Amino acid sequence: MARLIRTEKEIEGRYEEVWIVVEEDVLEQWPPGPLDVVGRPAPRGDGLERARGKAVYTADLRLNGMLHAAVLRSPHAHARVRRIDLAPALAVPGVHAAIGPADLDLLVDECGYEGAPVAAVCADTLERARAGIAAIDVEFEVLEPLLDSDDAVLRGSLLGEPRLRQRGDVERGLAEADAVLSAEFRTSVVLHNSLETHQAIVQWVGDSVDVHISTQFIWGVRDAVARGLDLPPDKVRVVCNYMGGGFGSKNGPDDYTFIAAELAKRTGRPVKCALTRREEHLAAGNRNATIQRLTVGAKEDGTLTALRGEYVNAVGWGGWSSPTEGPMHLLYSCPNVSSTTFPAKLNQPPMKAFRAPGFVEGTFGLESLLDELAAKLGIDPLELRRRNHSRLDPGDDRPFSDKNLLECYRRAEPHWERRHEVRARSTDVVKRGVGMASQIWYGGGGPPSYAWVRVGSDGRATVVTAMQDIGTGTKTAMAQIAAEELGIPLDHVTVSAGDSARGPYASISAGSSTTPSMGPAVRAAAADARRQIEEIAEQRGDPDMPLGEVVALLEDGQVLGKGARGPNPTGMQVLTFGVQVAEVAVDVETGEIWVERVAAVHDVGRVINPLGASSQIEGGIIQGIGHTLSEERLHDPSSGAILTTSFDSYRLPTIADVPEIVSELVDVPDPNLTNLGSKGLGEPPIVPTAAAIANAIRDATGAEVRRLPITREEMLRALREAEERQRESERREAPARI
Amino acid sequence: MKLRRASSVAELEGAGRSLLLAGGTEVVPLLRAGILEADELIDVRSVVPRGIEGATIGAGTTLAEIESSAEVPDALREACRLAASPQLRNAGSLAGNLLQSTRCWYWRLNWPCRLHGGDTCFARDGEHREHAVFANRFCASAHPSDAAAALLSLDATLQTDRRKLPVGELYRVPTEDDRRTTTLEPGELVLSVELPAVERSVYLKAMERKRWAFPLVGVAAARVGGSTRIALAGMAPVPWLLDARSLDGATPLPGNAYKLEIATALVKRALAQLDA
Repeated sequence: MARLIRTEKEIEGRYEEVWIVVEEDVLEQWPPGPLDVVGRPAPRGDGLERARGKAVYTADLRLNGMLHAAVLRSPHAHARVRRIDLAPALAVPGVHAAIGPADLDLLVDECGYEGAPVAAVCADTLERARAGIAAIDVEFEVLEPLLDSDDAVLRGSLLGEPRLRQRGDVERGLAEADAVLSAEFRTSVVLHNSLETHQAIVQWVGDSVDVHISTQFIWGVRDAVARGLDLPPDKVRVVCNYMGGGFGSKNGPDDYTFIAAELAKRTGRPVKCALTRREEHLAAGNRNATIQRLTVGAKEDGTLTALRGEYVNAVGWGGWSSPTEGPMHLLYSCPNVSSTTFPAKLNQPPMKAFRAPGFVEGTFGLESLLDELAAKLGIDPLELRRRNHSRLDPGDDRPFSDKNLLECYRRAEPHWERRHEVRARSTDVVKRGVGMASQIWYGGGGPPSYAWVRVGSDGRATVVTAMQDIGTGTKTAMAQIAAEELGIPLDHVTVSAGDSARGPYASISAGSSTTPSMGPAVRAAAADARRQIEEIAEQRGDPDMPLGEVVALLEDGQVLGKGARGPNPTGMQVLTFGVQVAEVAVDVETGEIWVERVAAVHDVGRVINPLGASSQIEGGIIQGIGHTLSEERLHDPSSGAILTTSFDSYRLPTIADVPEIVSELVDVPDPNLTNLGSKGLGEPPIVPTAAAIANAIRDATGAEVRRLPITREEMLRALREAEERQRESERREAPARI
Repeated sequence: MKLRRASSVAELEGAGRSLLLAGGTEVVPLLRAGILEADELIDVRSVVPRGIEGATIGAGTTLAEIESSAEVPDALREACRLAASPQLRNAGSLAGNLLQSTRCWYWRLNWPCRLHGGDTCFARDGEHREHAVFANRFCASAHPSDAAAALLSLDATLQTDRRKLPVGELYRVPTEDDRRTTTLEPGELVLSVELPAVERSVYLKAMERKRWAFPLVGVAAARVGGSTRIALAGMAPVPWLLDARSLDGATPLPGNAYKLEIATALVKRALAQLDA
């Protein structure tokens, strides 16, 4: 029976209450361990299409009569448009329309960051559209930019109230401590760098609109476009068949979609608006910089008594304040914790969610501090973490739906044990060491999400749902779940997705939520079809009749199953856990760092596709290595202009920067979470990488690297500081000579 | 824009606003960025010699060809191997590599800096962590060519269609009166590189990732005719020959003194490898 219930929904640490319609979900979870299809490595169903260039991405689409848009973006970090005349653009051959601040709300004449959209032109070709942009007569009044986030906090330039979170009494906790340690950590702006740049093609069809877009959330785009254009949501169709990366930066329609929509309306033609690679460095979002001033207090035995953090999120001109303080409040059973998080508003491009926003940055600070504490107390870092393990959510004493962090620690032991042998391979110049860090993050997914399953007389099944596969292999995982439930081979299942007009509502692919949100709905739909097939078999007098024989009777008939994602367990905290152990080598003369090996052990409940899972872990660690060692968006310190707008100055890791990666998954279904017991794995692997590497560097050299990225300059600075510290302590310890 | 394929040096005369192009790995991005402008591109690959014959290397030889040649001294081979990516090394020519422009972000973003004829070096007061530590008073741009530092240490000679010159004389530090970083005349074409007898040579490179990055510090060292020559990449507006093996005379900026630390270590190692 259908029931309307109110349930809590979490995406990337942000909670909201939602109404959902649920059907009784009577399915028992499958037994643990690999099954016939689920839990077995499956190559991606569309891998060959993608590799052969046959997959049609939004970037590949050429609609009949399609025009190309280009955008005039503010060349200044802070400026006012004094004067703008679009007429010269309209005079450029091939230009069909031009719009400016007077025509569309999101085109602005007060520019808060370099890259803010001011005007747009569409033309027969992209080159002509660009010529149109160049022809626009515009004059900017350059204003003083605000660039320093501490300064912004002092001046009250904030994007909302500071966030205060606390439990217990930190002052008392610090007073009770045997050791107190304070340190400041900083992280830099890094970019998503999706292979497919941000883009949309908008086409009006009568009073409806078709949006082809590279997106992580078909339904979110549908609703936002409907709101923005004042249309009923069902008049908006959103299509995304293949997607070339988003990492959190493609959750909504953004300026390019509305620019394309307006230009399409004015011209009566489909309009494509695609960011160039250089625009990606300005106006596609970023992981914002942070400053983290942290204090920890602990007893001699390592028991934490207090954690305190002052966090500054350098959010930029817009965006939201990500939970940088989250790990401090969630990871350990410390009784006294308090934090203040300031969302600094700066004349810099707006942030967007980026693969575990806040937790990547916050884990770097917290887990580095914990290692410094371990060194100070002379306690093994892994042991220190075990001693402070929390059985319940330390914030509100809620039980976890499941938590196997101690099992992750146990499985990490052989990797951690290697540190003696690794250190022993150090030379005078190249020092080696091992570091670890824990991972905590969300990833439980949630309702609503729906799927249909269609079984034909050929014994083949199609899963129909209007979800997107953002390149993570979601379609393959869904096919595995349906094949398992129906008891048919994997290659007998097709997944139809990527189009809001073709299937029911589906989850956002963000917050590590696709598999845990979609998977249970797909299983429920397949189970609904299976139940019907079994009922037919029973009516035919043979309850054991194989599926193939039952459906063979159908001719053109089909068995249609439907399924919904049920609610998350009431009163329980659903999280993912893990630990990574990194091995590094550091050249103490040149500051060169080699990450030689990373072992990752994560607990995300049941694993659907071990092959896809190991790919996710590798991708997360590689992106984490970039964040840790080489990636950084730089700006000019006085004007605020972005200096790194191409890949020679913004340095992603190359394959030569990739270490040996060993990935392990606990792979135990979460007994309280849905009919699958699966959580998401998109984000967890990037969470602890930076801290594990920084801790390994400290283990190798004694240098405290508290700033990302750890460039040559930062590494050499930290080494010099460590040498001075060493000399200082030798001076103090040496008996005075008289 | 037109593309013309030249088949003789004579065809290049009076090329006017044309741009010469070989591998295109530098010219094409600069055209796209609006830093170079031309009515016509002239592909000179049929004009410029390509290949290695004894001590003479055709200026059109690709970095990939040099990297895999046993005839080439170690410093040059290693400089080519550590440059760019395999795809770029398959396309890029030796002369193109020598004539490439700085990676200074201000210059590449077309700010009106001194190198572009303006009156300010934005890097000096701005973001200069990867910039020059020598000869940086007027312009702090760093020369990015690994191969140029190698050839400078090897005391190579260039043959153009008009003259012969030591590789060091190809370059000039930009000044108020003349912002150019090379001494090539308009339309002058580098044809080949000649190497003296080299006893031993080495190239060491520090970058911000393991591959496919321009040098923060490149150190080339060679023993040629009984004397040792050390040249640096990424440390001055031009490839920089060290006097008396010493880094004295450097004028680091507040944000790039660390490059001297790296250079000190790499010079020491390069000399040790020459002696080994």
